[in-house]
Parts: sequence; C-alpha cells; structure tokens
Amino acid sequence: MTEQYEETEERKSTYAPFIIGAGLALLFFGLVVFVPLAIGGGAVVAAGLFMLFRDSVEEKFADLKETVGEKWPVDFLSKRKLGVWVFLMSEILIFGSLIVGYIFVRFSSGSWPVATQVHNVTLGMTNTIILLTSSLAIVFALVSIRSGNTRGLKIGLLGTFALGAAFLIIKLGFEWPAYYRNGFTISSGLPGSTYFVLTGLHAAHVAGGLVAVGYLIARTYQGGFTKDNHAAIENIGLYWHFVDIVWMFLFPLFYLI
Amino acid sequence: MPTMKFYLGIWAGLVAATVMEVVTRSIPGAFAAISVIILLISSGKAVTIAMYFQHLRYENKSLALLPIAAVIGIIFLAIAAWMSM
Repeated sequence: MTEQYEETEERKSTYAPFIIGAGLALLFFGLVVFVPLAIGGGAVVAAGLFMLFRDSVEEKFADLKETVGEKWPVDFLSKRKLGVWVFLMSEILIFGSLIVGYIFVRFSSGSWPVATQVHNVTLGMTNTIILLTSSLAIVFALVSIRSGNTRGLKIGLLGTFALGAAFLIIKLGFEWPAYYRNGFTISSGLPGSTYFVLTGLHAAHVAGGLVAVGYLIARTYQGGFTKDNHAAIENIGLYWHFVDIVWMFLFPLFYLI
Repeated sequence: MPTMKFYLGIWAGLVAATVMEVVTRSIPGAFAAISVIILLISSGKAVTIAMYFQHLRYENKSLALLPIAAVIGIIFLAIAAWMSM
C-alpha cells in the first residue's frame, strides 16, 4: 500500500452521515414529545448536511475503485447510483405505507369532506405543473452537462431551485395558512391529520431536495462538473424526480377525489 | 440520452394529463368510476416520469427490480389493509 493510497483513505472519512442520522432521530422524537427538541434536531441535521457538502465541495472525498465483488443483479451500476436506488426503495416504502394508510382510513370512514370544498384545486394544479417543470429543468441540466454545456447546467439547476422554492412558498405560505384560517387544521380529525402529515412529509422532502440542488449549484460555480464527471447531477436528479412522482399521487388523492 | 426536444414533449404530455385529471373530476358520473380513471391517469404519469425523466427506459432492465420490489411490498400492505376492513 503506497503512502498516496493511505492519505486518500484518510481523506474520504466523515462523521457527517452519523450526525445527520442522529439529528433526524432527535427531530422526529422531538416532534412527538417536545417541539423545541425537534428544532434542535433540525439544526443538527442542517449542520451535518453543511459538513457533508462542504467537504464534498472541497473535494475531500476520493472515489476509490470498489473492491466489493458481488452486486448481482445490478452489477452494472456504480455503488453511488445503487445507493440512490436503494434509498429510493426505502422512500417508496415510507410514502407507499402512508398513502395506503390514507386510502384505508378514507374508505373505511363513514363520512369525509368533499375534496373540492376543502382544498384549493387551482393551487394544487399550479404546484403540480411547477414540480413537473422543475423535473424538466433538472433534466435540462443533465442533458447540458453531458454535452459539456456548463451554461445550460447552471440555468437548469437555478431553474430547478427556483421552481422547488416556488412550490414550497405556495404550499406553506399561501395554501396552509388559508386552510388554518378556514378551520381546517392538523387537529381536524382524520381528514386534517392525513392531509398535513402526508403533504408535510412531502414538503420536507422538497426542502431536502432544495439543499441538495443548492449543493449542486455551489459545486457547479466552482467548476466541479464536466462532460465526463457529473454523476452527482444524475443521482440527485433521480431523487428530485421521485419527489415529483409522490406528488403525482398526493394531488389527485387529496384535491380531486 | 434523448434530446431536449423529446423531453419537452414528455413534459407537455404530463401537463396535459394533469389538466385531463382536473377536467375528469368535473364530469358528472359515479364517484368510484371517476376516482379510478383519475388514479389511472396519475399512475400513468408516475410511470412516465420513472421511465423517461429517471431514464429507467434506457437502463439495464434489472435496475427496475429495485423500485418494483418496493412497490410489491406496498401492494401486499394494501391487500392486508383491505382484508382487515
């Protein structure tokens, strides 16, 4: 083993994933027992993400050739892309379970408010189109960098960020406050709790996606991506499209039927 | 990888499907039938995003096993919930 290899091994270590995990545990524990604890958990998550992205922007991680042998039946995938898809599998299970739970309580309840009388279909449809357009924007970023077009990459990523932020502003700045003013809150029985838990969890995922896209933007402006080195754009794009897919089900389930 | 013009076409189709969902909601008819039609359109949109934006269409077919395995798990959960009703 050469000295160079040892140095690379040391440089790729980070405590950030552990810190993010501990922060998330604190965040959800706090949401159940004591909200200020959740705020502290959120701060720990933010610090962990900052650490991770700072180290990555400063290129402290090395992409060593993997030595683990068996990945059948997906041995054609890089370990990072495989990691993203396994993560997305866990996300399908989280959202899928909640959506099945919602459908279960919805159709086993004697009465349920008419969707269009509670929810604002226009805002819901606007947000759907905004998310679809943000997916197109991140595809534009990927297509651009694959042909070496860094200007297109910047436009695509900035567009994705702006549209993701617009989604959250409409959802949290206009839609939720209007519902609260009309008396439809998280305490409004099953219709309220299912709506705010599911759309809240989705909004948290959009916010997480914005952090990741923010990292891509910072990395882009430092010249971190090239025609041959842009795996992070594709991998974070996979996550962003997944968040889009979840909304494709939440919109009709809550706003239309 | 397909061209941007192709992806623009996919996006336009997804937006049109969204409008179709909202229009379907206002058609007079049985609630159950309308709901099923809307959810079928939504499922079509989700599959389109996975196939083209997540480019599963152009990947090795084994990759689809990962999300399909998770979806099968959810289907089992749905069946269990339905049986307990």
